[in-house]
Amino acid sequence: MGGWILAPIFLPVAVGVCFLLPLGREKVGDGDGKALSRLHILTGIVLALTAVAALLCAWTGDRSFTLLELMDGIPIYFHIDDVGRLFVTVISVVWVLVGFYAFVYMKHEGKERRFFGFYLIVFGVLIALSFAGNLVTMYLFYELMTLTSMPLVLHNGSREAIMAALKYLFYSMCGAYLGLFGIFFLYKYCDTLRFTAGGTLNLTLAAGNTTILMIAVFGMLIGFGAKAGMFPLHAWLPAAHPVAPSPASAVMSGIIAKAGVLAVIRVVYYVVGPDFIRGTWIQTAWMTLTLLTVFMGSMLAFREPVFKKRLAYSTVSQVSYILFGLSALSPTAMEGALLHVVFHAFIKSALFLTAGIFIFQTGKERVEDFRGFGKKMPNTLWCYTFAALALIGIPPTCGFISKWYLAEGALEAGVGVFGWLGPAVLLLSALLTAGYLLPLVTNGFFPKEKAAVETQAGDPPALMLTPLVILAALTVLLGVFPNPLIRFVSGIAASVL
Amino acid sequence: MNAIILPVLVLFPILSGALIPLLPFKNRTHMMVYVEGAVLVNSALALAAMLNRPETEFILFRFTSNLTLSFRLDSLGTVFCALISALWPLATLYAFEYMKHEEHEKFFFMFYTITFGITMGIALAEDLVTMYCFYEMLTLATFPLVLHTLTREAVLASRTYLYYSLGGAAFAFIGVIFILIYGTTPDFTAGGVLDLAAIGSRTNLLLLIYVFCFFGFSVKAAMFPFSGWLPKAGVAPTPVTALLHAVAVVKAGAFAIIRITYYSFGTEFLRGTWAQTAVLVPVIFTIVYGCSRALKETHLKRRLAWSTVSNLSYILFGVALMSPAGLVGALCHMVFHAVMKICSFFCAGAVIYRSGREYIFQLDGLGRKMPRVFGIFTLAGMALMGVPGLCGFVSKWNLVKAAVDSQNPLAYVGIAALMVSALLTAIYMMTIAVRAFFPAKDPKYTSEELGTAAERTGENEETAKDGGKTGVSHAVVPYEEVSDPNWMMLLPLCIFVIAIVCFGLHPQPIVDAFEKIASAMS
Amino acid sequence: MELVQNFPFLSIIIALFSGPLCSILGSRWARRVNTAVIALIGIMSAAVLAYTLRTGESYVYQMGHYSAPWGNEIRVGQLEAFMAVFFCAVMLLCMLGGRKELALEVEESKQNLYYVMVGLLLSSLLALIYTNDIFTAYVFVEINTISACGLIMIRENGRTLEAATRYMIMSLMGSGLLLMGICFLYDLTGHLLMSNIQEKVAELQAAGTYHLPLLISICLMCAGLAIKSALFPFHAWLPDAYGYSTLSSSAILSSLVSKGYIFLLVKIFFRVIGFDVIRESKMINVLFVFGILGMIMGSISAIQENNVRRMIAYSSVAQIGYIYMGFGLGTTAGVIASLYHILCHAATKSLLFVAASGLTEASGDRKDFFSLTGAGYRNRLAGVAFTVGSLSMVGIPGLSGFISKILFAQAAYETTHRIFPALIALALSTILNAVYFMKTVIRIYTPAARAGIQVDGRRISMGEQKQKSAALLCFIALNLILGLFSEPIVNLLTQGLAMFS
Repeated sequence: MGGWILAPIFLPVAVGVCFLLPLGREKVGDGDGKALSRLHILTGIVLALTAVAALLCAWTGDRSFTLLELMDGIPIYFHIDDVGRLFVTVISVVWVLVGFYAFVYMKHEGKERRFFGFYLIVFGVLIALSFAGNLVTMYLFYELMTLTSMPLVLHNGSREAIMAALKYLFYSMCGAYLGLFGIFFLYKYCDTLRFTAGGTLNLTLAAGNTTILMIAVFGMLIGFGAKAGMFPLHAWLPAAHPVAPSPASAVMSGIIAKAGVLAVIRVVYYVVGPDFIRGTWIQTAWMTLTLLTVFMGSMLAFREPVFKKRLAYSTVSQVSYILFGLSALSPTAMEGALLHVVFHAFIKSALFLTAGIFIFQTGKERVEDFRGFGKKMPNTLWCYTFAALALIGIPPTCGFISKWYLAEGALEAGVGVFGWLGPAVLLLSALLTAGYLLPLVTNGFFPKEKAAVETQAGDPPALMLTPLVILAALTVLLGVFPNPLIRFVSGIAASVL
Repeated sequence: MNAIILPVLVLFPILSGALIPLLPFKNRTHMMVYVEGAVLVNSALALAAMLNRPETEFILFRFTSNLTLSFRLDSLGTVFCALISALWPLATLYAFEYMKHEEHEKFFFMFYTITFGITMGIALAEDLVTMYCFYEMLTLATFPLVLHTLTREAVLASRTYLYYSLGGAAFAFIGVIFILIYGTTPDFTAGGVLDLAAIGSRTNLLLLIYVFCFFGFSVKAAMFPFSGWLPKAGVAPTPVTALLHAVAVVKAGAFAIIRITYYSFGTEFLRGTWAQTAVLVPVIFTIVYGCSRALKETHLKRRLAWSTVSNLSYILFGVALMSPAGLVGALCHMVFHAVMKICSFFCAGAVIYRSGREYIFQLDGLGRKMPRVFGIFTLAGMALMGVPGLCGFVSKWNLVKAAVDSQNPLAYVGIAALMVSALLTAIYMMTIAVRAFFPAKDPKYTSEELGTAAERTGENEETAKDGGKTGVSHAVVPYEEVSDPNWMMLLPLCIFVIAIVCFGLHPQPIVDAFEKIASAMS
Repeated sequence: MELVQNFPFLSIIIALFSGPLCSILGSRWARRVNTAVIALIGIMSAAVLAYTLRTGESYVYQMGHYSAPWGNEIRVGQLEAFMAVFFCAVMLLCMLGGRKELALEVEESKQNLYYVMVGLLLSSLLALIYTNDIFTAYVFVEINTISACGLIMIRENGRTLEAATRYMIMSLMGSGLLLMGICFLYDLTGHLLMSNIQEKVAELQAAGTYHLPLLISICLMCAGLAIKSALFPFHAWLPDAYGYSTLSSSAILSSLVSKGYIFLLVKIFFRVIGFDVIRESKMINVLFVFGILGMIMGSISAIQENNVRRMIAYSSVAQIGYIYMGFGLGTTAGVIASLYHILCHAATKSLLFVAASGLTEASGDRKDFFSLTGAGYRNRLAGVAFTVGSLSMVGIPGLSGFISKILFAQAAYETTHRIFPALIALALSTILNAVYFMKTVIRIYTPAARAGIQVDGRRISMGEQKQKSAALLCFIALNLILGLFSEPIVNLLTQGLAMFS
């Protein structure tokens, strides 16, 4: 019964690997029309099947499954809990939508066989990551995620892309090894590495060794924070996102950065336990870092002229909202953080898809080139507008709700000066967000002067536009009907705090 | 089984190796069959001996009443014995293909086979003197292999190798004699043989001698500041670099350190003393140092050699923790690193052999032409990085577990060093993989850059004919003509990959066996 | 009295008179007589050795049955007999190995003179070994010096004359110091026979009188013999003397002559002064320090040397350093190690000299390293022999050097403060040895063609030079025997040394 968990993991990985193996047909999928459509159909089917299987697995009861014993007491163990459900749902929705979008988009990038191969593999790995039931399993898939998602970044093969991919790899690895450093200590001082709400740290064992343990835990926060773009290991994000193909940047920002968040949640709330951290220097340092990142990300985005880079900085800032919520260690703030996980995934994917459409249709990358495009591709720009409003946090879009919870949580958490400094920074950052996202809307619909370059481009094909529309709609819908989701996340928050 | 098998395991390869230049082989195939046969027979005998361990010792020769050449197969020796007898036949197979175009093949295989016996001697040595003897002989039997191409570079490298190795042995010798005098018995005994009553209050003397001895043997294990010889020795043909300088010779150094630490001096006495600090500090430094040098290196084989430097210090780190758990970690890494590193070296060798490219910047796009080799290389690289599910993770896990258990602040620094090293490993291995599979430029263009196709090829053919004599490396092959090597090279690679994955997924039996060995210490 | 007891005396006399006999014979007959004499003396010494082993004790042989203090005595024990056998064997092999060079390098008419010198040398060595009278020892030291000088300069080119002069000056200075020491001792004790002196010295020591004069006497004798045996820093004469003289001379000088003096020093330590007294004197520290310095500096000079013969000569300086370091340890074990090293060095150094000459011969008689490139292929036996000798010097197990290294290290562990200097010096010196010997080994096995060097060498097969080949093979065997079956020899040395006191 529990073995079904493996289905959504192995199906996409197996198909993806088959795509990558040479099998004597290197050219297939790279330009040959018929083979290409076969590839698309196959990919689409696998994506849909996987998503369905994953959701079925997730939402039909608690399952757990031990794949094998890596070593005594360290099994590869899968277990589905509410956090996993939340993540796997978000991942499936975004991944499938972006996948369909990519069918069209990747035509101009080429080497689709390779792209979709890795795209599928990463999907499987991410599902496994959400289902992971203990720290070592999570670490395993965390590393695999890094390794398999790297080819998505370097897809276009320019020297810049390769350097960016390597940068991504090294920052992620650096983070992963900081995490691993902590895992070793947790293995010694925890009763079990299996995820248990509230943590498993054995305080009697740890007594006397708390200093090194705290260093280790803080290392893990920094390390896993690297994927989430937290200062000081954030620099890969602005390098990697602009050079990756847009669908890849969309999922990198929307989903893979969230994997870092997932890891942090698992470590703090499911292994170490919030009580160990509360009130210590770890919490102070962590909150400082997140707020610093929030502010810095927004500022950098504000100054950035390249559209995708601007969005990347925006991701740096926004994901640290989530981390800030987690660092407050209060139930409301955590609810806000989990809500923002969901919302930001949808919003940021939508934004990157928009950027992709611009690039796909016009080849333009800089912000000032978007003047006047509201007339040419109104649907796209409307979607962008909704997503932008949501990111700023203007009601009734979803961003408002998560930010509300975050601010409220910070105020009630009893974290001293951060209680008011946090909301203040969030507010400031929201203003900056408005500052760097909205000019595109105004310039797009109401250009002050004529478009810099004349182009015939209009709205993209339906296959590209539909995912974008769905994502934009979701950002609004979730803002209007947030209650089921809020109930769900408050259940999670209550279980761990 | 009768203990007479033990000297046979040592002497048979030495004798059959020494016969190679004397036997009148009709052609190359005959020699291949003979060499491979001899090696396989010895491995089979070793297997038989390991399954059916002879309980008694066998004294081959007595220098004096307390200096003997004697053999015994104990549990630790079994590990090393199993390791080399598993790797040797595969490496020999690989060497046949690799050495096809080299001169002096007979001498090469002579020393290659003799080294098998000598390494076996180290594994089977019952006491410190026997081990020391074979240790010295190992240096002598392997330096002609480094010298093989007889280029100026090779001469310098083999000289450096000799000086370092003999010098290290000279310092290790101090410790050997110490054990001879102050040990209750010269034989290896789990937990140490020191006669503490005889030493009395001269503990600092003992510790100083231990440190000397450790440093002496660590020369072969390429610990900083004695690591310089290893990358230089990379001028040897790849089978030598792979088998000897990633496994047999360097692991003999690590093995010797395990022997003196756990079986002669005894960890009870050493743990927590300044001697432990004195050995841990350079070991930890080497872990990071080796990796950083690997990162800077642009020559493929030398990069792997520096990586070996770093990884050997993982083993020494485990040893220097001086706890049974540390020994488990060290043994794990000894075995697993052997498999991973020989695998990566064989890949590098295959690349050099098939494409003639030795520098990493020349490898752009070769992954498409040699997908199997580079696929395996990537996997081995991931194992070295310590991705869970591959064997590198298992040893790293055990090492760090021991370090955490030791509660020694320096050990914590060591863990941090391991992590830094893992990161650097990721960088220097993955850049190669990325380069090979995702070339930045059009690879055809690159190959033209390497040598304007036509004229350079003509030139290369000349040097290729002459290549054997001048001992220059293989000529650069145009990009289009590069392809995966034949089965003699691929078979060992596949076996290693299977081993990497199997050990990674199901290491428990092996780890259990190591734990049993280590439990005898306490 | 058994006949065999006369043999030591007889062998000295035979050797002494073989000299004048050779001077009236032609060179060929002189050679035959000389060879026969050495062989005969070897056999006789072997008989003496067997006899002493059987009886298990030493005996004193009074010349002409005059008893002390007027008579002259010979004392024979296992150690003396064994040394005599060994010296004869090595000398025979050295003569054998260098026969061709001798014929080439020395004028036909003077070759018989060479054998005169060899005969005198042998007799003086035997006398140094056997005598129980310290003044007799002095006399034979002088004879030894003169004959050694003859061996050096018989080649009669400029450098050997200069070397011989230097050697003469240094040696005479050493003899002078030795003589002064003996005079002091005679003054203090009134005796010249070793056993009598020892009794007297013990009395003086017990009475606590004449402390300083005794010390001075010890210092003078040690310094004298140290100069003569080329202890660092008195080694300046050595490289030229060994490097340019004819092959047999180099081999004999390095392996036997200096060893004769050292053996005399051991006798002075144990039979004249008493080892306890020596140990209490500060002289031993001096020997220790200079021994260690010699080990290091000799090797460093050897590394810088570009002439293979001179390199081997410098290596002798280092090896002499080992021996004095062993004395300096101040334990019986240290002395035994030194004695063993005398054997080991004699066997190895002559091997190296003969092998090196084989290699240079195959390289157009050029001795610089460049020309030696690939010589190991041109003269295979010499190459192998040189490699064996080098490995033995480096201390590879199975060869003689390894055992003496072990003995030194074991002896060092018996001391308290000297452990570390001694052990470190051993290790360092091993490394340095490895540097210059292995460098040469690699050089001789690097094919000249591949190294891009033109060498006007020729190929020399084993059968071409039967005597040299035989000598090399015997030396290799000797090395292996010393390396593999050391225990009986060490036991013999221990027992022999025990009989001394």
